[in-house]
Amino acid sequence: MSYFRITLLRSAIGLPRRSTDVLKALGLKKRMGTVFHPVSQSVAGQIMKVKELVEVREVDRSMTQQEVWLERKPDPGYYVEKTCAQERGEMGRQ
Amino acid sequence: MFKPTQSLFGGLLWKTPWRLSSPQKARQRKRLRAVDRVVDTVSAALARNGQSTKAVERWYTEMPREEEMLPKDKYTLFDKKEKSYRKSIHKLPKWTRVSQRVNPPGF
Repeated sequence: MSYFRITLLRSAIGLPRRSTDVLKALGLKKRMGTVFHPVSQSVAGQIMKVKELVEVREVDRSMTQQEVWLERKPDPGYYVEKTCAQERGEMGRQ
Repeated sequence: MFKPTQSLFGGLLWKTPWRLSSPQKARQRKRLRAVDRVVDTVSAALARNGQSTKAVERWYTEMPREEEMLPKDKYTLFDKKEKSYRKSIHKLPKWTRVSQRVNPPGF
């Protein structure tokens, strides 16, 4: 089953009430917000109503909000070799 | 830096240029292509499920794609009050967020 990944790029401020309502129905609250919906005719019709405002991709699986955020998280520039707890564990064993 | 211009000195002079600049036109083309891409994605996804929607079909029958459009239709629209029956598209309210692609035939 494939999903539409819909991202709101332009806000619907000043557009007819219907555009705002369609975005609300899709679950898009603010710019750069991303939602996933299964590919269906009704969702396609909703996307067509706000096609100037959104970016759409077809994806294989739906992601949670957390996963979407993690996608955008920059590389910290370091990696953790060992945590304190691990180190203490090793000390205890010796 | 203060730049003495007509609008700063005279007060009520809010002039909108009568034509679009070339970067504005480039962005307009980019937006047209973005809308085409959205419709293509939706149509392809539905076709994979063996479905179709009236809204998508109607878009394909009625609306030209960005590359099929004449420059005249990309950047101007019909207006009966203009001498040349055309005005620049940035006079259209919310012009960056509405699809305005077709004009009356012959104008």
